[in-house]
Amino acid sequence: MRRRKTLLGMVPLESPLYQFHPLTRMIGLVVLAVLPLFVLMPEANLVFLAALFVLFAYARVDISRLRIYLPLMVTVAFFMFAITVLAPDRRPDDIRLQVLGVTVYYQPLMRTFASYIRIMAMLFATIFYFSTNHERDMLVALRAARVPFAVSYVLGLSIRSAAMFLEDLTTVRQAEQARGLDDSGLSIKDKLKMYGLYLIPLFTMSLRRADEISNALFARGYTISGRTITGGPRPDYVLSQYRFRARDAVASGALIVLFVGVAALGWRYGAFQLADSPLNRWLAGALQP
Amino acid sequence: MAVAGSGAEGHSSVWELAPGEVRHAGIVHVVMLALFTGIGIVVGTFGSLAVPIGFVSAFWPGQAVQAIGGVWYGMWGGIAGTIFPFISNSLSGSAPLPVSLAYVPANFVQSMAAGWAFRAFRADPSLRSGRDWTVWIVWGVLVANLFGSFWGSNVLVFFGLVTRAAWPTVWAGWFVGNTIPSIVLGSLILKYVSPLVVQTRGFTKGYWA
Repeated sequence: MRRRKTLLGMVPLESPLYQFHPLTRMIGLVVLAVLPLFVLMPEANLVFLAALFVLFAYARVDISRLRIYLPLMVTVAFFMFAITVLAPDRRPDDIRLQVLGVTVYYQPLMRTFASYIRIMAMLFATIFYFSTNHERDMLVALRAARVPFAVSYVLGLSIRSAAMFLEDLTTVRQAEQARGLDDSGLSIKDKLKMYGLYLIPLFTMSLRRADEISNALFARGYTISGRTITGGPRPDYVLSQYRFRARDAVASGALIVLFVGVAALGWRYGAFQLADSPLNRWLAGALQP
Repeated sequence: MAVAGSGAEGHSSVWELAPGEVRHAGIVHVVMLALFTGIGIVVGTFGSLAVPIGFVSAFWPGQAVQAIGGVWYGMWGGIAGTIFPFISNSLSGSAPLPVSLAYVPANFVQSMAAGWAFRAFRADPSLRSGRDWTVWIVWGVLVANLFGSFWGSNVLVFFGLVTRAAWPTVWAGWFVGNTIPSIVLGSLILKYVSPLVVQTRGFTKGYWA
């Protein structure tokens, strides 16, 4: 399977997901990344995570690449559980347990577990979007949603400039290495110093580039409003390459209905909360002295 | 005629309009906004991945970029400093979208506190005097990060990611993790790059131009 490296991830060149308009995919990002916010029941969020991994496979994303998030998953889990063990938000009726000689409380641990699963669900929903959309898709989605030209233009140029900044960083590093600098033996303190010294030439390059880009845009008649100098709308070639079809309307509608439904059930009727969790009820019952 | 930003007229010169000088927001500011956002994406992502302690980074140089953006480019820098954490948090996986959204007020203050203070107190971005240093350290670093770390750590509590009992530790970790790189990197960049920036078209003497 051929893939393309983008600033935002490794994106498959062909995917069944691309039959959907970029706007539909962006609606998917908003819905899927926010949906777990209304759900604390770990079983529901685990099902959501499993569904996300099915979507990863369906979209032909290289799942092995998700390993890069493993250190983050581990450090976040360690951080959250360590805090809960060392400084639990406990209530008088919490179940007290002794684990390896350490006193812990069941309810704070369960709340942390539920929060951890929820945050992972939100994170992987965001990662899913960035693993299946090129920078261009984001711009098309924003323009299709009639977001002001300046906003989509700034976003596009920001992503491009992040790539240019990385390229400049490589140039500066290679120039230093060509002059004999070997930073492999440097201490963390010295590496941080080096980091500061990189930033000065990088900022200077960016300033020069800003002048060049703004002159080029001015020469081509670009304005902040996105209209031509005579006041007419600017033709948008990229947008003309995509069509919002019936399947997009159906998929977007289904996503919005799903979002409203879960949000209403969660907020209005208190569904999908920790108290509804069969696992929580079973564990609390089993651990009750 | 005074030459804006030459440094020859003392501290306040960089912020004062020269006689007959007219300034408008233009495409150069939009480009700077985009470039600064791009720089912030890289620096912020690196910071979040470099020394992560759960959701808090022990070394987040993104705040230095935020504060510098506010000083040099006013509201354009403030907008850049508010936008880039959305993307850098997503790339590094350090915060999902709703959490990044909740960080917005903190990111805006971290970006604009120094920008406001330098303009209000007429401090020189090139940090030429003790007074300039005081404005930078007090407003650009301490006040900005006190608010940012207070808000951000409370967001983590609100989302159930840390316990209320652990809040002081998380807040302290956040504050230190943002403050040290701001003092080290922010000061370095302000000191050595500002003399160049204040002579460019993109430098904003007011908030928008």
